Amino acid sequence: MRRTLVKASLHTALNVLFFTVIGTFLLAITFFQTRDRIAQSEQTEKLKLISQLIPSSSFDNDIVADAQHLAPDALLGTTTGGTAYRARLHDQPVGVVLEAVAPDGYSGRISLIIAIKADGTLGGVRVVEHKETPGLGDYIDIAKSDWIQGFDGKSLTPQHDADWQVKKDGGQFDYMAGATITPRAVVKAVHKALQYFALHRTELFMQNSPASPDKGRRGGVKESTK
Amino acid sequence: MSAFFSPFISKPDTVSAIMLKVLLALLPGIALYVWYFGPAILVSITLASLTALATEAAMLKLRKRPVAPFLKDNSALLTAWLLALSIPPLAPWWLIVVGTAFCIAVAKHLYGGLGNNPFNPAMVGYAVLIVSFPVQMTHWVTPLGMGATELSFVQQLQYIFSGILPGGLTLDAVTMATPLDTLKTQLHLAHPANEILTQPIFSSLAGHGSEVVAIGFLIGGLYLLASKIISWHLPVAFLGTLFLVAGIFHLADPSHYVAPVFHWFSGAAMLGAFFILTDPITSPTTHKGKFIFAAGAALLTYLIRVYGAFPDGIAFATLLMNICVPLIDAYTQPKVFGKKEKKA
Amino acid sequence: MTSQEMKDIFYNGLWKQNTGVVQLLGMCPILAVSSSVVNGVSLGLATAAVMALSGAAISPIRHAVPNEARIPVFILIIAVLVTVIQFAMNAYVHALYLVLGIFIPLIVTNCIVLARIEAFAAKQPPLQSAMDGLAMGLGLSAVLAVLGGLRELFGHGTLLSGIDMVFGAGAKSWVITVVPNYHGFLLAILPPGAFVTLGLLIAGKNYMSQRAAANEQRKPIKPAVVTA
Repeated sequence: MRRTLVKASLHTALNVLFFTVIGTFLLAITFFQTRDRIAQSEQTEKLKLISQLIPSSSFDNDIVADAQHLAPDALLGTTTGGTAYRARLHDQPVGVVLEAVAPDGYSGRISLIIAIKADGTLGGVRVVEHKETPGLGDYIDIAKSDWIQGFDGKSLTPQHDADWQVKKDGGQFDYMAGATITPRAVVKAVHKALQYFALHRTELFMQNSPASPDKGRRGGVKESTK
Repeated sequence: MSAFFSPFISKPDTVSAIMLKVLLALLPGIALYVWYFGPAILVSITLASLTALATEAAMLKLRKRPVAPFLKDNSALLTAWLLALSIPPLAPWWLIVVGTAFCIAVAKHLYGGLGNNPFNPAMVGYAVLIVSFPVQMTHWVTPLGMGATELSFVQQLQYIFSGILPGGLTLDAVTMATPLDTLKTQLHLAHPANEILTQPIFSSLAGHGSEVVAIGFLIGGLYLLASKIISWHLPVAFLGTLFLVAGIFHLADPSHYVAPVFHWFSGAAMLGAFFILTDPITSPTTHKGKFIFAAGAALLTYLIRVYGAFPDGIAFATLLMNICVPLIDAYTQPKVFGKKEKKA
Repeated sequence: MTSQEMKDIFYNGLWKQNTGVVQLLGMCPILAVSSSVVNGVSLGLATAAVMALSGAAISPIRHAVPNEARIPVFILIIAVLVTVIQFAMNAYVHALYLVLGIFIPLIVTNCIVLARIEAFAAKQPPLQSAMDGLAMGLGLSAVLAVLGGLRELFGHGTLLSGIDMVFGAGAKSWVITVVPNYHGFLLAILPPGAFVTLGLLIAGKNYMSQRAAANEQRKPIKPAVVTA
């Protein structure tokens, strides 16, 4: 009785092991077959997003690889850090793409990427993830309206900080009636990111020691479906 | 409610008379509404009524039921009026038409028609509209005496049907957010509650103008109570619980939570207590059940108002409690006398 | 396999036992990704591929797996196949992969896959099992196509939006704008719209089946046609 139980268990275990080995083998093959292609797709995807903000003709470096990990910062609204992608032409800084978070959206955090040119003007802003009310606060998404393009070319206005508000509060930015919390949050976050850039300009453009752009999902430069 | 009809439905003329009295009871509120916000509301009520009757007739035809007796029972009209009163009067004409058609066709007839619908049809229509068209649903007419440009009736009509405002006016100039919405936005910006309430949109009880309309609905509700069309359990439990919960929060932190009276006279609280929750088809049958139902609705309303993403919570609270009605009914049904409990 | 058997398998998968509107299995992805035709059909086809492949893979080994290790081994095989498809989609249709996101790996947990393996592939020869998986998957895709189409049409007034995620930027012109300058009916796009539309589809299917059954009764009984 004991023997047969042991034997049966062993048989089952070996059986499962056998299929596991085959499965692992199959997965390994597929992984190696698709790895380069996936990395390439991810790179193109990031580049596509970045080139919406900084025209790809204006830089000549490998911008996705020329990344720097940034520590969490209150001005960027990041709590786990973020990545800065640097654009250079003939090794001269052209601009930087920063990840930032607007923590005070109507329903939570709004993740942004913000391109700032070397002279401190905005190349553009995009929302990569948000939970704003569909049809009401989601006009910050480029897929829904071109509101976000209102930031293009703007820069800090040290003499007149009040400009960095929505028109309802006396600033220069449009908003849609009925949904002012969302644009307020985005305007505030972009304003702070510009201040961050002004404070950290030199460090941001520092050349990398053999770069290790943090891999995978963390990069966050990823079009969201939400 | 399950497969059988409530007793009063066997006599259509009685339903019709009751519904007519409920419609009458809405009149003081509507009159005050017109006084403070202009006659646009009458246009939405008319549009809603026409759509409701047309949809009702079409659905009855499709379902091969007699059209005339059901059309005369006034229940479709009540649904239409309640929906029209819950949405901004200056909304484009198609908004109320889509909403009312959805109420009658989906929320009422697809569930089996009068007596079988588990959800309050008007509130289903409201939920569909607020979810689908949030922008159009947030432009409320600015009440009389707030210094805003007042539109004439013709101008209002023109805007409802064509979306054109008289020269140079923006929608922002003639509309605003509701008091509840304004309160929520301002609290979000970290202003203390007592400071917010000094703004001109607010008045002694709640919102300027809208508080008086709420009193109008309260008067109509008291008439319904007096004429024994509704029982006191639902409104008392609803308003009592709302007062209690709002009171506890207000006492704990008055800078974040406004006084309970504000909650009573803002949004659709009065309309909900006397006209929406009291729908006999979608509320429990026993007194105990009614208490649980209304108290739950009040609690949910408060939570949605304070923590939710939508400015008012009556509609969603009502719908959520509607789902619980069969359960509440099952647990509050009096034991049948003489029947011994089975020993398991 | 006889042609009658084949016919039965496809009749079951596409209509009589349709996963989407009859068995109501795997509702989570059905409701979540059916916001447009392209999303719905893509996930439907991915599921169909997994079901056909897993049917073909599991049926030949059905006698080799001890009964008590059956479920883990089946799930293992399904998981491997799903991961292979996930890699492939990530590599070749990256944009679509990002949209479907979590729902691709979740095909593993879609109960319809294991249900068909248990109910069919574990008892039938490989070809039949593969065909059953394919038929069930195609039935699911059909429901997702109709559901996605209705939701997209009512929600955005378009059809086939996002087709460029599958066939590249050149396919952008394939998008059909049915109602120009549409206001948008958000309810259709949001999750509640998925429930409402699916409910209407189920009602439609029941209506058609009942009418067919009623017609059948009225008709005089025909002599059965015997096919070999």
